[in-house]
Amino acid sequence: MSLLRVRDLTATFGAGASRLTAVNRVSFDVAQGEVLGLVGESGSGKSVTLRALLRLLPVGGAVSGRVEWEGRDLVTAGDRELRAVRGRQISMIFQEPMTSLNPVLPVRVQIEENLRAHTGLRGRARTARAKELLDLVGIPDAGRRLDEFPHQFSGGMRQRVMIAIALASEPRLLLADEPTTALDVTIQDQILKLILDLKDQLGMSVVLVTHDLGVVAETCDRMAVMYAGRIVETGSVTDVFARPAHAYTAGLMASVPRASAARSVLHSIEGTPPQLDRVPPGCAFHPRCRFATDICRRDVPALEPRVGERLSACHHADAVAAEGSPV
Amino acid sequence: MSESAQPEAADAARRSVRLPRPGHLPLPFIGGALILGLSVFVAAFPGLFAPYDPLAFDYNAVLQGPSAAHPFGTDNFGRDVLSRVIHAYTIDMQIAIFATIFPFVFGTAVGALVGYAGGIAETIFGRVVDAVITFPFLVLVIAIVSVLGPGLGNMYIAVGLVGWVFYARITAAEVRVQKRLDYADAGRAMGYTHARIIFRHLLPNAITPAIVYWMTDMALAILLGSSLGYLGLGAQPPAAEWGVQIAEAKNFMSTAWWMGVFPGLAIVVTGLGFSLLGDGLAELLRTRR
Repeated sequence: MSLLRVRDLTATFGAGASRLTAVNRVSFDVAQGEVLGLVGESGSGKSVTLRALLRLLPVGGAVSGRVEWEGRDLVTAGDRELRAVRGRQISMIFQEPMTSLNPVLPVRVQIEENLRAHTGLRGRARTARAKELLDLVGIPDAGRRLDEFPHQFSGGMRQRVMIAIALASEPRLLLADEPTTALDVTIQDQILKLILDLKDQLGMSVVLVTHDLGVVAETCDRMAVMYAGRIVETGSVTDVFARPAHAYTAGLMASVPRASAARSVLHSIEGTPPQLDRVPPGCAFHPRCRFATDICRRDVPALEPRVGERLSACHHADAVAAEGSPV
Repeated sequence: MSESAQPEAADAARRSVRLPRPGHLPLPFIGGALILGLSVFVAAFPGLFAPYDPLAFDYNAVLQGPSAAHPFGTDNFGRDVLSRVIHAYTIDMQIAIFATIFPFVFGTAVGALVGYAGGIAETIFGRVVDAVITFPFLVLVIAIVSVLGPGLGNMYIAVGLVGWVFYARITAAEVRVQKRLDYADAGRAMGYTHARIIFRHLLPNAITPAIVYWMTDMALAILLGSSLGYLGLGAQPPAAEWGVQIAEAKNFMSTAWWMGVFPGLAIVVTGLGFSLLGDGLAELLRTRR
């Protein structure tokens, strides 16, 4: 039984001839307690997908499709209904801890604000809970730091504060938009561990957007690979890493630098991802793909079970899978 | 740390964060605050400072130059100029505040809403602002006052009708920048209402330029009040107001310079106070970021 069911989610910007499709008929499920990784290059639509779930697109963005949450469709939900879900049942954390906190309010106010909006806690109980949350995300001396301003925290600490705010209402789903990209590697590891610990403690599910395959391998149960606004492959992390079934996934994995004994040339996928206004016909990846044939230039491959249970949108999934993992 | 010491420590931390110690305050801020603090005190208790009744005629001492008995001299009715300048503080400080408080509050609120809403609301608002700004400010205010009739109350109304657009424009521009930052998105992701996001989160981050402009505007309001007083559209004689005093002095400029110079100096000093405070605040609010 899945917690969140996304069907044919589409996000567009602008209107008429200049209309761009940033997310194109994306479908996926998130099960209770599961961590789903959304992976892709910059501009592949992974962050837009995440924001479209809560209809948090910038001005000019439009969402269609279905986002089924607790028996209702968030795409058609009213403002009030949506606000009751945002922050209460589904929380979100952002990439830039330096700008995601309000610079002129002490963190106490910002944590208590979410508690006020979404819980019945009042007065002392609320303050106590705010302190508890800072403790929970591993900020030492929480009682004193509550009254400090965001600029007095380091990047990693700010991301912890952000997580504390997001978790204040004990949401059932956490959307994390590249939560560790702006942090250095050791802090990155701590924050990911923290998210996983809290996930287990609070029994939530997590959708993690990242471009870092290492992060996916470390933290996620399942992964969905995005390219040019579509999901091109999805499956359990172990399966996908063991035997990618889409030429793009295979290329991504080959591009991860390895600390092997001998120095070798770093592999990269030729070319660049397409601009949103000139996505090639057929499979969007075909100009960069070494498996490409005529059918790839003509028909958009459907996302369907191609190798075992695994969903792939590649006409040559079998050939790609036969090569095995480049990792 | 023991239980009892904790709130104290938290309080101390909060204090040290919120306000820099006096030694760290920018110099213009201190200067401006001193001048205006004194001005407000004089405005509140003019009787403590004025040696004479500002309205009492004394035909035995008409048009006398500065002396020990009358440091700023006397006017054509024998009224003590120093006493009139001091009592004028009450009216002119009132003008500074009453003529600007409504534009400040209403203008920043409208600006925040419009800047946040964007789209058509912002386009329409932009045209309204253009229409108002096309008229020279003083001419527009004079036109409105002549319709409503002279007097301070109508002057506040006239300034209020026109003045808010400047605050609204400044605030809208700033909110437009702030609403694109992640913390505004984060607020929406938390399910906060638009009103809460605008007034609790965006406005405190966007209001600094409007506050600084407010200080300058108060100085301008005093000048405007004096100008209208001079033209006979603001405070009415025999009330002691700097503009009224200067208007009365213009007929005696060559024989009794002190009638106009001292009220003029009072305007300059008060205006300087507001400008300094504005500069100081700008510096203070900038460093706090």
